[in-house]
Amino acid sequence: MTFQSAVRRAGIVVAIAALAASAGCAKKEDGETQASGVKLVEKGKLTVCTHLPYAPFQSKDASGKVIGFDVDLMDLVAKDLGVEQKIVDTPFEGIKSGQDLNTGKCDAAAAGMTITEERQKVMNFSDPYFDATQAMLVKTGKAYKTLDDLRGKKLGVQAATTGRDYAKKVAEEKGLQLVEFEDLAAEQQALANGQIEAAINDLPVWTEYIKEHQGGFEVAAEFDTGEQYGFSVKKDGNPELLKKINDALAKAKQDGTYNTIYEKWIGKKPTA
Amino acid sequence: MKLRRRQRERLSLWLQYLAFVAVIAVVILAADWGRLREAFFRVDIIESMFPTVITVALRNTILYTLGAFAFGLVFGTILALMRLSRVAPYRWVATAYIELFRGLPALLVLFLVGYGIPIAFPEREIPGGVFGSIAIGLGLTAAAYMAETIRAGIQAVPKGQMEAARTLGMSHFTAMRTIVIPQAFRIVIPPLTNELILLTKDSSLAYVLGVTAQTIEVTKFGRDTLNDRVNATPLLVAGLTYLIITLPLSQVVRRLELRYAKAR
Repeated sequence: MTFQSAVRRAGIVVAIAALAASAGCAKKEDGETQASGVKLVEKGKLTVCTHLPYAPFQSKDASGKVIGFDVDLMDLVAKDLGVEQKIVDTPFEGIKSGQDLNTGKCDAAAAGMTITEERQKVMNFSDPYFDATQAMLVKTGKAYKTLDDLRGKKLGVQAATTGRDYAKKVAEEKGLQLVEFEDLAAEQQALANGQIEAAINDLPVWTEYIKEHQGGFEVAAEFDTGEQYGFSVKKDGNPELLKKINDALAKAKQDGTYNTIYEKWIGKKPTA
Repeated sequence: MKLRRRQRERLSLWLQYLAFVAVIAVVILAADWGRLREAFFRVDIIESMFPTVITVALRNTILYTLGAFAFGLVFGTILALMRLSRVAPYRWVATAYIELFRGLPALLVLFLVGYGIPIAFPEREIPGGVFGSIAIGLGLTAAAYMAETIRAGIQAVPKGQMEAARTLGMSHFTAMRTIVIPQAFRIVIPPLTNELILLTKDSSLAYVLGVTAQTIEVTKFGRDTLNDRVNATPLLVAGLTYLIITLPLSQVVRRLELRYAKAR
């Protein structure tokens, strides 16, 4: 056998192997279905998608462990299932477009995510677990009290968030110049640098930021947009898990665990 | 049945074509086209992206690319000359710069320029705003690559050219400027065009600086529209938009290469 024909033969073998592989194209099956009917993409783990950093809902502590309000709540769900929570950091677009759930990257998404009609079309949301208010952060001493004061000025928003959608809705009317940042960290950095005059994001996020940067920043305005956060699972893909999440939330609200977690991360619960 | 060597080879060749076609056929048949179209090809979304994708996004992509390319070209030429200099410290500085910036991801350099300079010089703006930051940020990296290309080009110009020019009484600098460098650039046009194509795609990194409706480029525009419509069609549109720039550029490179091949 000449060298050339050997190469050719090898080529055929490869081609046939590729054919077989593509025909078989078995989906990876290292997940598990629990006795309760809950499906998990990885055995023994509740895989949760989020986008870091988003303190106080999820952020890394000094040791690199992901901690936060959402994390503690999802831990309750994981505990009920008798598994560990595994957190995957992924761009927010993948989370909110439902693709991370559809492609089996995660069992659930917990990313300080507001329940919206658009998002409900591509994933199933749990019961609301948090009332979110949008807020505008400025450097201390700046004379901006409302969005109207920002006419012609640069206002920072975070890509793919409801805060951005809210700002976009009023941008034209108020003559705002929106600057969109990929994540919270870049938005904060730009505000600190003076690249933008003010920044919109969820109120608890700014509360946390102000705590870490005493005296440098203040919340100039709050916008009650009636938003609520929810956890989500794959659209029509895992009703059992959704039920587990809702059960865990209901139980936590009843036995006071929810309040404890709320006070730990967000602060005193508003009485209303 | 005994086949002759010739026949055997032909049979083997046909079998490979067949396997190739079969693989493609299986992929086409196995894919869920209905869902793919729903996710990536919604005509109403495509329509909603025009004309902004061209008038704003593509225009900015081109501007950022050209800015970074111009900065990189000028700076890269200086670096190349420094590397070829007889003065040792020039060579050291240029070599250190090239090694450093070739090794750093463009994203990090852009971020350092965009966020570092405002911290270093408070209340000062980079000239040209976002455009300036991108031109400098991406240009710093591009310059490192271009410097090596240009240096190779200069070294490819026959030594006799320089010697002849010096014999005519030209200074080293004048000979470089009027004789060697023009010839060198002719040689490096194809690789520089490649660099231009790479930069076109790197301009998508502009998002790290924060993007406004006026400064948005193609990739970010696609991602934003995806965000608004919760559908992946905008990414396909964005991808195809890049081809409007890169395909003609590739053609230009091919033409030039052919022309030089003939000229030899």
